Amino acid sequence: MDAKGNWAGYAWAVGATGACTLAGFAMAPRFDLVNIAMVYLLAVVFVALRYSRGPAVATALLCVATFDFTFVPPAGTFTVEDVQYVFTFAIMLAVGLVISRLTEDARAQAREQARLEIAAETERIRSALLASISHDLRTPLAVVSGASSSLAEGGERLSGEERTALARSVFENAREMSEHVAKVLQMTRLETKAIEPDRDWAALPEIAASVLRRLSERLASHRLLVEVPHDLPLVRVDAALIEQALANLLENAARHTPPGTVVRLRAQPRGGELVVSVEDYGGGLPDAELERVFAKFQRGATEPSVSGMGLGLSICRAIVSLHGGRAWAERIPEGGTAFRFTLPLEPAPSMPAEATVP
Amino acid sequence: MAEARATILVVEDEPEIRRFLRSSLGAEGYRVVESASGRRGSIDAQTHKPDMAIVDLGLPDVDGTEVIRHIRSWSAMPILVLSARTHEKSKVGALDAGADDYVTKPFGVGELLARVRAALRHAVRGGSGGTVLELEAATVDLERRRATRGGEEIRLTPIEYRLLACLAKHDGMVVTQRHLLAEVWGPTHVEDTHYLRIYMKQLREKLERDPVQPRHLITETGVGYRLMLDE
Repeated sequence: MDAKGNWAGYAWAVGATGACTLAGFAMAPRFDLVNIAMVYLLAVVFVALRYSRGPAVATALLCVATFDFTFVPPAGTFTVEDVQYVFTFAIMLAVGLVISRLTEDARAQAREQARLEIAAETERIRSALLASISHDLRTPLAVVSGASSSLAEGGERLSGEERTALARSVFENAREMSEHVAKVLQMTRLETKAIEPDRDWAALPEIAASVLRRLSERLASHRLLVEVPHDLPLVRVDAALIEQALANLLENAARHTPPGTVVRLRAQPRGGELVVSVEDYGGGLPDAELERVFAKFQRGATEPSVSGMGLGLSICRAIVSLHGGRAWAERIPEGGTAFRFTLPLEPAPSMPAEATVP
Repeated sequence: MAEARATILVVEDEPEIRRFLRSSLGAEGYRVVESASGRRGSIDAQTHKPDMAIVDLGLPDVDGTEVIRHIRSWSAMPILVLSARTHEKSKVGALDAGADDYVTKPFGVGELLARVRAALRHAVRGGSGGTVLELEAATVDLERRRATRGGEEIRLTPIEYRLLACLAKHDGMVVTQRHLLAEVWGPTHVEDTHYLRIYMKQLREKLERDPVQPRHLITETGVGYRLMLDE
């Protein structure tokens, strides 16, 4: 226990003894002295439970002294006439020591338990990180080194078409790795609270357009439906972060659902919030997965071979909660999953009206 | 092509990145001068007098922004920034220091060459873009303040014309929010970003075929806007 806690403990020792003495005075005319001793014992138990051994022993000693001086005949002296009160004093001290010892043990155990839990969680994340790095970086690295070495060593024996295909796969895999690394870094920054959102008025349709432009190649395999009204109210957000959150949802949909299926991007205001949804028709996640997919380094349990570090959704959630919104997944009746997030709406700032040129 | 033999100064400390820039720019017919540090880059810019400069923001000796300021102090050559940082602030900082555009690492060479072409084209024309914008769904004559869509005349407000003219002056290149706000609404309004959001929305409604997935009035999230005309 820290020094500050100890001082509070000693203050309680004095306070509790005083309170017991007052109670003792009130009881004295009608109660046996033994019962007044019980009240003092209560004070010892109370302080021993809440504070460390020092304050507990101090309470026991203070209680014994006060009880002796105030109530034990002859009152007003520390002399003890009846030997049985010596026994009472011994009990009080013993109770104080035993209880403070038990409490301290329990506290130490709880601390150890918490430490073990943190260590286990850290270990889980570390091993998941290692597993995902080994899977998500090693595979593309193997492709990059294999494809580039065939280009470097046997380039002249390959047809132009083969060379282009190899070079393209180097490019695509390298880009994929670079995105993975960026995600790991981003998650670390979000976890350590190193990101301060740079909020400004933003139009969600602009953010959506920018994402769709950036991901156009990645989304080309799916049928994309965009239902984003052009006149949505403005939101005060860090647009770059929200763009990333939305990109992660769209990438996730493209990666985890079969090519040719529909991916629908929607946004609508609802009760003081803007709700942004990415809905896929990839069969839908089991109920147990709906929350689990937002955990770090988690991918759907049923598809371990699909690449993607499973960081996208947890980054999305971290970004959204940084803005005071929520992110969650739910099943949609048509056999798919909707990933949604909300952003709080604030009263929009005004701007002067203007007439059009005739 | 007048710009095909243009000389480009590359200020980049990573030899591997210099190598691929040299080969891809060289393959397009540009002459490449390489500087491996910021100080060297500032000197090479003065001795070689290149037609444009490509400057990495993450140089080991001096901040890339310093190199940009140094070049800007005596030359109006286009400056393209390579930014490894995802943070939009460093891009905006470089643009405010005088850079004309940026490419975020990692980038494909197609993207880089498109930016280089836009920057050189802009330098050759001296910043006076064509006054008639031929867009997918509309045509706008900036000088006469006439706009048509599908043969029908449409009306733009004076502010919409000013905003469009400012973007057209830098067509193909990014224009920061601050720059647009200062130029169109005046220096006291550089923080009023919601003006931009509202006016860009209006412009897209009037000029784009699909305002939610625009082809010409492009948002660079957290940085600014870019007018893309078909090359």
